[in-house]
Amino acid sequence: MSPLLIALLGVMLVPLFVATWRTSLLGLACQGLLLAWLAYDVLMFKPLAGLEVWMFKTLARLETMPDLATASQAGAWLTLFDLAVIRGLVAPAALYAVLRARAQPSRDDVLPPNLLTWTLALGIVLVAFTVSESLVAAAGQQQTLVFVAVAGLLLGFLVLSTQSSPLSQMIGLLRIENAIALFELGGEPEPALGIQLAQVAVVVATIALFRWYLKSVSSASGISAAEAVADGAGAGDALVEGPTL
Amino acid sequence: MNPARFLPALLMAWPVLASLALANPKVRARAAHLLVVVGVVATVLAIWVAVPGAAGRTGDEWGLADLVRVDATARLFLVVINPIFFGVSVYVWNRVQTTPELDAGLPRTVGLASLFLTAANVALLANHLMILWLALEATSLLAAPLIVRAGVPSSRRASWRFLLFSAVALSLVLLGFHCLARGMPGAPTFFIDELSELAPRVEHTWRKVGLALILLGLGTKLGLAPMFSWLPEAYDEAPPSVTALLAAVQFNCALVALFRVVQVFRPGNEALFAGMLLSMGVLSMVVSTVSIIATRNMKRLIAYASMNHAGVIAIGMGLSKGASFGLLLYVISNAFIKAILFLTAGKIKAHYRTKDTRRISSLIRDLPYSGVFLMVGTFALLGFPPFGSFVGELLILSALVSSGQLLVFGAFCLLITMTFVATGRTIFPMIWGAPQAQHTWPRQTFVSAAPKMTFLVALLVLGIYIPPVVSEMIQQVASSLEAP
Repeated sequence: MSPLLIALLGVMLVPLFVATWRTSLLGLACQGLLLAWLAYDVLMFKPLAGLEVWMFKTLARLETMPDLATASQAGAWLTLFDLAVIRGLVAPAALYAVLRARAQPSRDDVLPPNLLTWTLALGIVLVAFTVSESLVAAAGQQQTLVFVAVAGLLLGFLVLSTQSSPLSQMIGLLRIENAIALFELGGEPEPALGIQLAQVAVVVATIALFRWYLKSVSSASGISAAEAVADGAGAGDALVEGPTL
Repeated sequence: MNPARFLPALLMAWPVLASLALANPKVRARAAHLLVVVGVVATVLAIWVAVPGAAGRTGDEWGLADLVRVDATARLFLVVINPIFFGVSVYVWNRVQTTPELDAGLPRTVGLASLFLTAANVALLANHLMILWLALEATSLLAAPLIVRAGVPSSRRASWRFLLFSAVALSLVLLGFHCLARGMPGAPTFFIDELSELAPRVEHTWRKVGLALILLGLGTKLGLAPMFSWLPEAYDEAPPSVTALLAAVQFNCALVALFRVVQVFRPGNEALFAGMLLSMGVLSMVVSTVSIIATRNMKRLIAYASMNHAGVIAIGMGLSKGASFGLLLYVISNAFIKAILFLTAGKIKAHYRTKDTRRISSLIRDLPYSGVFLMVGTFALLGFPPFGSFVGELLILSALVSSGQLLVFGAFCLLITMTFVATGRTIFPMIWGAPQAQHTWPRQTFVSAAPKMTFLVALLVLGIYIPPVVSEMIQQVASSLEAP
């Protein structure tokens, strides 16, 4: 198995068992940077040993077509920018700035700290391995890539399903998006540059909205207050209200 | 060169131009007027595009490399969502005229809503699965801030949950697309028209996984069980105009995405589609029926009824033959019903200052227009004749019997009866119940009722006499949805 993919699986797993938000964000940053490294190997014609991916084959074909090859090169750089800068640096930094500004207590359980969820997390890794075996028959790098992507996806869902705080949910969601990005690396050729740009814009807009929501949690009229109201009144039934559009 | 071929691009670009105009302080001061102008121009353009002469792939002239496609599905839904947006814009304009304090923050709302309309139109016209996905993402990202109401913390929580579920749903869809690409023989493509020709008719593991993920993801966007919990909260907490946009515009964009997938991939995967859509549909109907019985919140009740309708739609789509025409009638009727009911709920709440159904009564006397709209909308909601929803439901039921899905048919009838009783028990006392207090509200203007009146006429037309142009469009879309 590729050391990079193993390292990626490691940074997907370890932060789940270390209950601080800084570790979670560091884990996200590491995921982004490792993904970028993987992408670099794939996109810049240095495939990992035995890693046969569509993208590589397609890019190799495109070498004979200068215009397309240039466009593809730009797409490759955009992918690297997305993974390394946006997902690896901007996303964790944007959330970090908000949490630091409001002096968030360092403890933050990404998973509930009990044996059941830890067993579930490890069980998910085994399930991911079985799934990858059934999806990719031949053992090899492609199977490993699918295994790590499925594990990342399922772990992201585990985080989402066991947590109700917006921060943990954001981390869960970003984990899922990273897993999909990994899956994309081993898949079909890149889409057109415009579509790729739009995809990056969507990621940036999502992060900006995350930041906005996270800020409002700390404000007096934030989600915590809303939860208190809803818990008291039942199912969001604050029925008497002022005018709205 | 036929200038009509530029219309789709103009339709998509127009709301963006309008939102850019908001940078001008003079325009910002008349943001409500601008929203109405956006709505009316988009409606005219949409109707123009829907005229058969403007059909065909039109991206070439704009360097869009075949990314745009005006087929029957796009045309049919363009003439649904744009008029609904126009109706909502008139509602907003009227609300601002009668309640001037709502003027604050209006430019932001108008800007986001205009961009939302662009994204919705792009979703309908896209000839590329990734563009379609991006447009759906954009509608979600633009709608999320619209759900938040200043000074109402619970709306922020609802907005967050909406964004979270949307992001998860669309991540599943994206993953599904990539799985589909792996399951394609030769070089994968995301162009819908090419897919229709290339998609192999045999089952493949990657394709099955991809389709299952897409159905789950789009099902979540449609508010289908199991991942539905965002819907009642978002529909309840959002301002009524935004709820109408979510329920009648965004819902149909997600549905069109599902239609695209069904149109291309149903052959060879009938069992998967039937199994997933029928089970999600029945489960959604069960959950929504129980919730309708339990709730005392007017907007939540309509939201659960929307879930119920989504369940019916999923059941109709799960049937590979015989249900498609009825399904489409039901879908279009459903869009107008939801727009009428949510806008009426907004009007009622604006007067009574409550959503509690126990504290609202004698609507027919206090607010005659709203009382009538709530009554007629509820009858249409429950599938009464002469509305399109009645015909649609009847055709779906008939297709259930003819396809041998008797268990689903039984569950459908039972749940729809329970929904009917529970909804009537809650809504009818609001309309005809004895007055709880003496209200002296100013008489509602015709303008405030005009959008809902128009939607009502559309509902009646769908139930009594469908114009040949519309009928032809529905037929074309219906035949594309059925198994060969």
